[in-house]
Amino acid sequence: MRGALKLGWRYLAYHRFKTAVLVAAVTLMIFLPAATRLLVTDSAAALTARAAATPLLVGARGSELELVLNALYFHAERPPEIPHAVFEAVRGSGLAEAIPLYTRFQSRGSPIVGTSLDYFTFRGLELAEGRLMGLLGECVIGAGVARRHGVGAGGSLVSSPETVFDLAGVYPLKMKVTGVLEPAGTPDDEAVFVDLRTAWVIHGLGHGHQDLEQAGARGAVLSRSEESITANASLVQYNEITPDNVREFHFHGDTSGFPLSAVIAVPQDEKSGTLLRGRYRDEGVQEQLVVPYAVLGDLLETVFTVQNYVVLGLVMLSLATIAVITLVFLLSQQLRRGEFFTLRRMGASRGFIALLVASEITFVFAGSLLLAAVMTWVVRAYATKFLLELVTF
Amino acid sequence: MKRFILFSALCLAACTGEAPTPADPAAEKGRPLVIASNYPLYFFASELSGGTADLRLPDIEGDPALWVPDGEQVAELQAADRILLNGAGYESWLDFVTVPEDRLLDTTANLGERLLAQEETTVHRHGPEGEHSHAGTAFTTWLDPELAAEQARVIAGALSALQPQRVSDIAARLAELEARLAQLDRELRQAFDGLQGAPVIFSHPVYQYLQRRYGINGRSLHWEPDEVPGVQAWLDFQNMLRGHPARLLIWEGEPAAETTGKLREAGVESLVFEPAANRPEQGDYFDVMASNLAALRQSAPD
Amino acid sequence: MAGVRISGLHFRYPGARGFGMRIDALEVPAGECVAIVGPSGSGKTTLLSLVAGILLPDPGEVRIGDQAISRLSDSDRRRFRIDRIGQVFQAFELLNYLTVAENVLLPRLIDPAAGPLTEARQRAAELLADVGLTAKADERPDRLSHGERQRVAVCRAMLNRPGLILADEPTGNLDQVNKQTVVDLLIRQAQTHGSTLLMVTHDRSLLAAFGRVIDFSELARTEGFAPEAGS
Repeated sequence: MRGALKLGWRYLAYHRFKTAVLVAAVTLMIFLPAATRLLVTDSAAALTARAAATPLLVGARGSELELVLNALYFHAERPPEIPHAVFEAVRGSGLAEAIPLYTRFQSRGSPIVGTSLDYFTFRGLELAEGRLMGLLGECVIGAGVARRHGVGAGGSLVSSPETVFDLAGVYPLKMKVTGVLEPAGTPDDEAVFVDLRTAWVIHGLGHGHQDLEQAGARGAVLSRSEESITANASLVQYNEITPDNVREFHFHGDTSGFPLSAVIAVPQDEKSGTLLRGRYRDEGVQEQLVVPYAVLGDLLETVFTVQNYVVLGLVMLSLATIAVITLVFLLSQQLRRGEFFTLRRMGASRGFIALLVASEITFVFAGSLLLAAVMTWVVRAYATKFLLELVTF
Repeated sequence: MKRFILFSALCLAACTGEAPTPADPAAEKGRPLVIASNYPLYFFASELSGGTADLRLPDIEGDPALWVPDGEQVAELQAADRILLNGAGYESWLDFVTVPEDRLLDTTANLGERLLAQEETTVHRHGPEGEHSHAGTAFTTWLDPELAAEQARVIAGALSALQPQRVSDIAARLAELEARLAQLDRELRQAFDGLQGAPVIFSHPVYQYLQRRYGINGRSLHWEPDEVPGVQAWLDFQNMLRGHPARLLIWEGEPAAETTGKLREAGVESLVFEPAANRPEQGDYFDVMASNLAALRQSAPD
Repeated sequence: MAGVRISGLHFRYPGARGFGMRIDALEVPAGECVAIVGPSGSGKTTLLSLVAGILLPDPGEVRIGDQAISRLSDSDRRRFRIDRIGQVFQAFELLNYLTVAENVLLPRLIDPAAGPLTEARQRAAELLADVGLTAKADERPDRLSHGERQRVAVCRAMLNRPGLILADEPTGNLDQVNKQTVVDLLIRQAQTHGSTLLMVTHDRSLLAAFGRVIDFSELARTEGFAPEAGS
């Protein structure tokens, strides 16, 4: 037996190119359908896990899928906004814990997520270094953001303007990075988290400027009376919030009308969830309440159907590959008839010849299986990340 | 062959993974962490908890109204099981500090119309938003022992929720604290009655609740105890005296000797009545009030 | 040592009408070096196959030493060939995917009963040294000259110290110098190990070295074989 294995191995090693081609063909034959299935299954599991972990989502009426993708995966396509009053209503209902989200802005390609501290507890996010944002203008970044931009606790990021030409609108805010999160394997790794009010400052709904009552601001005062001070255009507005100027920041208007992208609602119990859902069934209500898991389920059902057709096609391709490989082997045996005849003449049994051929086939398939396993493992390690990057920001 | 099987098994094992379990801070600690935003709340909480809670008062340098917590203080606030707020606009830092909202406890939230508006606001205007002001509410509620007792009751409720096993002990301590506040109330009323309705001036508008509680005929300046008022300030003061002939100026801190001298020349005596907002160097809230009472009694017109 | 005796042999290829061979008797004493000469295509290879037990006479008997090989089972005949017969072929029949040393070891590699190869490797090294090919032990056969390849084939045939060496036109693909070298090598190996040597050839220039030469046309009556003219 050892002799046949040795001869089989040496034959394959000698005919390197032919062996490599065979191994490659068999590897692909095994890997493609397996990887396709794994990619879809694992990514779907990751997507649905995140959706399943988000009980209810409140947002503006419109595309449910866009709402879910934006709120859960910080997708660039933004749904219409809702007022902060919606968050206050959900919180005030006593039926669910409410977590606000405002995901309009981005910083160097990473989504800025305006939210509350409850978000971190809700998603089970832990700090790798530093602390959570504490003052207006501070941010906490996901592990992916830290790696991509080479920034950590103590560093800074600047919010990106929405358009170069709208200088009076959203303008860049320099944010201090106070902490970096542990890798979570979710879209949170690629996000920049700020206090909701910081996101509103980026929006331009809040700002900080020189104290008009101070002597240093005289040049910025247009007019002054006993009850009011009017500033002129030279008034310096801060584009970085520091402990020294944070008290100068303020918001104008009623925050109930300030924008949000969505509200995550975590019901106290099933009954509370049902009651909450009932409140948003009324056609007259401006907002919609969706169950992210159900919304994604519809999408994934389509994906799985397509996957099945793809896998079927790959299986048929594999059958064709097997046929070709079999032909190659048979032709190879034909060419080696003389060699086998010599071995028989020398005293080798038919069993030995059969074992010799079988060992070659086994080595090729074993090598292919190993290679396919490694490739599949690699795909599995990055499948979620890959698909989530496709879906997310 | 064996190596292949082992390697494949390792590959499969590596494919599984478990999601991290979020930490539960309350469960990990033996005592609940309670942070008070000012000294009176801290004092009331410590009287009620009897040392069974981890009570903390942030180390604030300078005017508490201008406090901006540093990184460590922010982290401490975020880790607290409860943050005791005075409310009534005292904690302006809430406008720019991120804390878990469900841990905040506003001890004056139930006072409603019993809260007083802050006098003298400034309106400013810039940009397209138009006029807006930074007006607010008077926040020194603890100077009114009756309101202070209300705040203590709210704190007792929070501590009882955090430590259900100590409900009866907290109730007993609350009763004791209420009794002491009631006694303080009687003594303050007696001392202020000694003024017999005479007009007084306050160095700063921080005594609104004291004024209301004891019917003090008072008006306020904006004088710092350690600063000698300038010419314009003296003129404004004298203008005020014409319409409000006070003979007593109540300071929140020891005034400069020059200032008291000038006031005496104007026929106005000085008296220090500490608002007790900050932790005293010696003694506690009641000690500070006792010292205030002594000063009041001493300055009462014969 | 193993002598060869054939008696009353008749052989016909299955299904091939007209292709047959008759040998009344052949006796080669043990240790003798015999050349069987005849033209190419006359059936000499078939004779060697019958002697080696690859083909079976019907009727007739082939004995090697005291063993009637033609009466053994298939597995016993294979065993016999591995243990007691060394074979050298015209086209060398070396495996290019093995090294020279591994080719010499081939009889052990195909032997299901072979134990550790330590002793066999030692023997192979000695055989290669004997033919001056130690330096080529790790080369592939396709890097060797024809003469060198056939010398390797002789070493392979001698690995198990066979009692009988069958050489089928071993010089057919060699030049004149190498032909003589290989013939001399075969005879020397046979004499050294006391083996019987049966070599079939059509080349009469090589016959002088042999103690006995048998004319194949006198030894066997064949039917259907077409000897090549002029060989």
